[in-house]
Amino acid sequence: MEHEVSLDRVYSPSKDIVARDVMGELIIVPLASGIGNTEDEIYTLNETGRAIWDRLDGRTNLREIAKSLAREFDAPPGEIELDIQGLIGELFHRRMVIAV
Amino acid sequence: MTEDFTTQQEIQDFSLWDRMKEKRACYSFTIELTARCNNNCAHCYINLPAGDKEAKERELSVPQIMDIADQAVRLGALWCNITGGEPLIRLDFPEVYLGLKKKGLLVSVMTNATLITRDHIDLFKKYPPRDIEITVYGATRETYETVSRRPGSYDAFMRGLNLLLDAGIKVRLKAMAIHSNLHEIQKIAEFSRAFTKDYYRFDPQLHLRMDHNPARNEEIRRERLTPEEIVRLEQSDGERKNALEKGCDTLIVPDFCKTGCNHLFHCGTGNGDFVVGPDGMFRLCMSLCHPDCVYDLKSGTLEDAWQHFIPKVRDMRTNNQEFLKTCRVCPIINLCLWCPAHADLETGRLDGRVEYFCRVAHARAKALGYTGDQP
Ligand code: SF4
Ligand code: SF4
Repeated sequence: MEHEVSLDRVYSPSKDIVARDVMGELIIVPLASGIGNTEDEIYTLNETGRAIWDRLDGRTNLREIAKSLAREFDAPPGEIELDIQGLIGELFHRRMVIAV
Repeated sequence: MTEDFTTQQEIQDFSLWDRMKEKRACYSFTIELTARCNNNCAHCYINLPAGDKEAKERELSVPQIMDIADQAVRLGALWCNITGGEPLIRLDFPEVYLGLKKKGLLVSVMTNATLITRDHIDLFKKYPPRDIEITVYGATRETYETVSRRPGSYDAFMRGLNLLLDAGIKVRLKAMAIHSNLHEIQKIAEFSRAFTKDYYRFDPQLHLRMDHNPARNEEIRRERLTPEEIVRLEQSDGERKNALEKGCDTLIVPDFCKTGCNHLFHCGTGNGDFVVGPDGMFRLCMSLCHPDCVYDLKSGTLEDAWQHFIPKVRDMRTNNQEFLKTCRVCPIINLCLWCPAHADLETGRLDGRVEYFCRVAHARAKALGYTGDQP
């Protein structure tokens, strides 16, 4: 699925997955078919991924999320924007997030 | 893209397992939706008639099941196994299945497949199970129905199986090796392997009834293979033979027979998973139903069962000298079905010795060429 991730758009977790916190780790369990390659798979997000995921509230666009993360982690917004685009591209491709 | 943000793992390779084990977290559970079944297999340790009203009344409601699942998820559970009796006999099965999936659990279903409908197929296609595990009672109509004791069940089974396979749903087949199907167990293996290439297993050891029904226990005993039949069967099955040989090396643990404690439990019971009976009784493992080892989740919490009740059970001890001198220090215990749970089902005592198990274990040890001291 080709999709250009736009920083001006709002993304939210898809209803076809369930995100859970297990012992402090975020895991994504496919709920509906077509996510992941087999029924036996679950997904985890790395730390950066988790920080971004936690801010996907279905209201805030990616640019705003980048700004808040840049402030919180004292990191250059440009770099964070790249990370966000990378993560959202990956999650969108896996059908784990949708563009609102 | 600067890096991969998501890591995709098969559940068995999940790196969290190690940490979860360390913290004694719960990672899976089995829920017996019902003890009722539309078949009437003689070897079954749980089945009650499909129309058994009292059994039906005792069954947990959907909200009660969801409440237990919520508690299990809070303890970390990632995988749930729905079984019975025959779970599809409950008309609210779809609600339970989807409810569990929506809690972020990977869900497996164990069924005889005879009640699979197109609605189930639609459900499984949209919300895939981790797998559907089906028991094959016979490879021919005659044998299948000798075991299931229900005319028409073979056709229903084949129909259900084909519906699942045609829809591309992941199916795993297994069999119980019993007297009534022993003559065609190879055929059952071929049949099963043809459908599930990577998976087929058979179990030659029958457990007695959880309700201790004496007449039904007699039927199970009649279906049990002799030690010689079990060994012959295992030796003829390459995979199983290898597993036993490997188990023989790793499981005949010298420290087990040398640890001089009088604890009853030396197995993994209560570590990481649990079972809920149709009536909401919590068990540490499938066969452990001694009254001192079960906990009522209708009046207590899973958290309490997990944190307080399990350690209490695992700390149970015995001063039965016969046990302490035999099974407790047995060097071939890992070839034996003996464990406190099975001992209780057979003898009514968690530390009882079971002659039949002993004969099977010794026959296995002999076949594997094990010559160490044996009680
Ligand atoms: S089909 Fe399964 S649950 Fe039903 S009677 Fe047979 S063994 Fe028991
Ligand atoms: S029943 Fe026999 S073989 Fe099994 S553990 Fe006891 S002594 Fe060992």
